[in-house]
Amino acid sequence: MATQVERITTFPNFAGDSAFAIGEYEQKSLPLAVETLQRLYSYMLKCRTVEERIRILFRQGRFAGNYFAAVGQEATQVGVTMDLLPEDTIAPSHRNFITHIMKGTPLPQLLAQIYGRKTSPDQGRSAPAHCGYAPLNIITPASTIAAQLNIGTGIALAYKMRQQRNVVVALSGEGSTSLGFWHEAVNFAGLHKLPMVIVVENNGWAESVPVTLQTAVTDISEKAKAYGIPGVTVDGNDVVEVYQAARTAITRAREGQGPTLLECKTYRWYGHSEIDPAKYREPREVQEWKGRDPIPRMERFLEEQGIWTNDWKQNLLKEFEAEIEQAIAFAEASPFPEPEEALDHVYSFDIRERELAPKTWEPKLGR
Amino acid sequence: MPVMTYIDAINTALDEEMTRDEQVFIIGEDVGKMGGVFKATKGLQEKFGVDRVIDSPLAEGVIVSSSIGAAMAGMRPVAEIQFADFITPAMDAITQQAAKLRYRSAGTQTCPLTVRVCYGGGVGGGLYHSQTNTSWFIHTPGLVVVAPSTAYDAKGLLKSAIRDDNPVMFFEHKKLYRSVKEEVPDEDFTVPLMKAEVKKSGSDLTVISYGYTLQLSLQAAEKMKQQHGVDVEVVDLRTLVPLDKDTFLESVARTNRVVIVHEDNRTLGIGAEISAVIAEQAFDCLDAPITRVTAPDVPAVPFSAPLEHFYMPSVEKIVAAMERTIRY
Ligand SMILES: Cc1ncc(C[n+]2csc(CCOP(=O)(O)OP(=O)(O)O)c2C)c(N)n1
Repeated sequence: MATQVERITTFPNFAGDSAFAIGEYEQKSLPLAVETLQRLYSYMLKCRTVEERIRILFRQGRFAGNYFAAVGQEATQVGVTMDLLPEDTIAPSHRNFITHIMKGTPLPQLLAQIYGRKTSPDQGRSAPAHCGYAPLNIITPASTIAAQLNIGTGIALAYKMRQQRNVVVALSGEGSTSLGFWHEAVNFAGLHKLPMVIVVENNGWAESVPVTLQTAVTDISEKAKAYGIPGVTVDGNDVVEVYQAARTAITRAREGQGPTLLECKTYRWYGHSEIDPAKYREPREVQEWKGRDPIPRMERFLEEQGIWTNDWKQNLLKEFEAEIEQAIAFAEASPFPEPEEALDHVYSFDIRERELAPKTWEPKLGR
Repeated sequence: MPVMTYIDAINTALDEEMTRDEQVFIIGEDVGKMGGVFKATKGLQEKFGVDRVIDSPLAEGVIVSSSIGAAMAGMRPVAEIQFADFITPAMDAITQQAAKLRYRSAGTQTCPLTVRVCYGGGVGGGLYHSQTNTSWFIHTPGLVVVAPSTAYDAKGLLKSAIRDDNPVMFFEHKKLYRSVKEEVPDEDFTVPLMKAEVKKSGSDLTVISYGYTLQLSLQAAEKMKQQHGVDVEVVDLRTLVPLDKDTFLESVARTNRVVIVHEDNRTLGIGAEISAVIAEQAFDCLDAPITRVTAPDVPAVPFSAPLEHFYMPSVEKIVAAMERTIRY
């Protein structure tokens, strides 16, 4: 199914101008254009490279916070976000740091976020898991699970009211679908046919709680029925399948036909966060899922089509690694915010003076 | 100048702001055809259409959170919470999202949202239709909390709230809706946020209040004049957060005596904060201990008339507190 909307890439340093001619697409009857397939692949590779590097930085104690890696889930996150326009909105969860890379938030600023530096998108305020980026419409929700979905409905409502042909892609885990306001949001989106794609990254676990203790349905997408919207379940480790399903959903949303609930079944390789050894899982389960790693899977597929070589991969990796090193250097050289900046951006007006120098009343004369 | 009730003033403010600015829209339960259970939005859906006066599903969480999203996208939503008692499903949206959005994004994402909340007792509403829970919000920096006591202020402050770039919690006391009436200009005017007002000047004692109890305080001041010749100054906070400290500190510096009146529960109500501010910043000005007249610390406003009467601040209770303070 062809999308009606011209795709604008926001990928800052796309390294995919490879040796493969786009014209080959027709002859090979590939599911997607060669360029699209290669971009999907290289984004996944880049996201993986960045997250694995961040995990090393954490273990080296080079930043103070925590990190929620989506390693293993790249096919889902790359697939659902690749076709977004800069004006579209991403409503991310705590495990969607890499959607920033997809939308085009500059990597040095993202690393500065991890390090809590002044040069980060929010000048060191929120933890890396919850940062947004206003220039590219990545919202900054609170950490409350599923809340971003609810905020996303309002942005979608504004798009609809203004007849803007933009969409909101909201991402959350399967755990979020147990919350009351997840349902409020999906109900509202369905009711108003909002231009939204509600993506559930079903990675099987909400911290230590398996999906079987989360809900009695087998496919989360069944919940869509309750709200009168289409629900689709896809293999979240197959980037082509995710991309195609997302493209259908995004097109539907853009054309005013309303939201889609898109469940992507996938897996997170590591703990809930960097401080979680994930002992609650069977090693066998982890091994099985690692066997379904979306990246080598895509490599095999591309190689069969004659549009992947190890050299190309190594070149991409080199480029990504250099970019990350630069970003780290930028972050580590960046200053921390001044302590008093904690008093800034509370309201549209300044409260520094009021807080730092409250008026002390003069004693009454003659006393 | 037309004479308006508090509720008419609110309706007029909404009408004028929606006419003035296309980005303003209303969302809430029963706000459409019905015009709201108290008729604050009466006639507005007819005038502005179903897309700008949205009858929401019965879900306070999404009423407020969709408004937040729309506000982030540059609209100016006015969300209605039918009864303050039912605001809890929206607490996450208000305290975690709206209040923190500007802060957490270092000013790059903002939330020009107005949440109109109908609150207050004294109408026999019972446990879940009478609550004054302004303290829940005054403890949340990032929110502006407004609670007008007169029809004039209701119109002027609501217009300011809608135009303000901060999330504003706008508390409307249901007992004031039809009990106060005054001349309110038909034309466009605003009352500034974050400014208290001396509603009646006086030299012997300052009473500080807001909302319905401000009206009670005015009546009590009148009684003090008649019965004791005591000249009471009445300060209306109007905005509870950020608090206009200077106006009441100046007043206390003049009168040297203070009574604080509010309908919210006593513990950590705004009276506690005002007392602390006066103690910290104007201790030398006091001739008598600070006195508070508040609702007691019970979990809800009871239904039965004598119980509710005991719960609510009243003119008699305020007069008694003023007498004690004067006699000290
Ligand atoms: C309302 C709420 N409850 C609890 C938490 C703590 N918490 C953060 S992430 C998480 C698990 C989320 O699981 P899921 O939605 O499946 O997403 P995943 O982490 O698997 O990506 C929990 C319990 C929270 N942030 N918000």
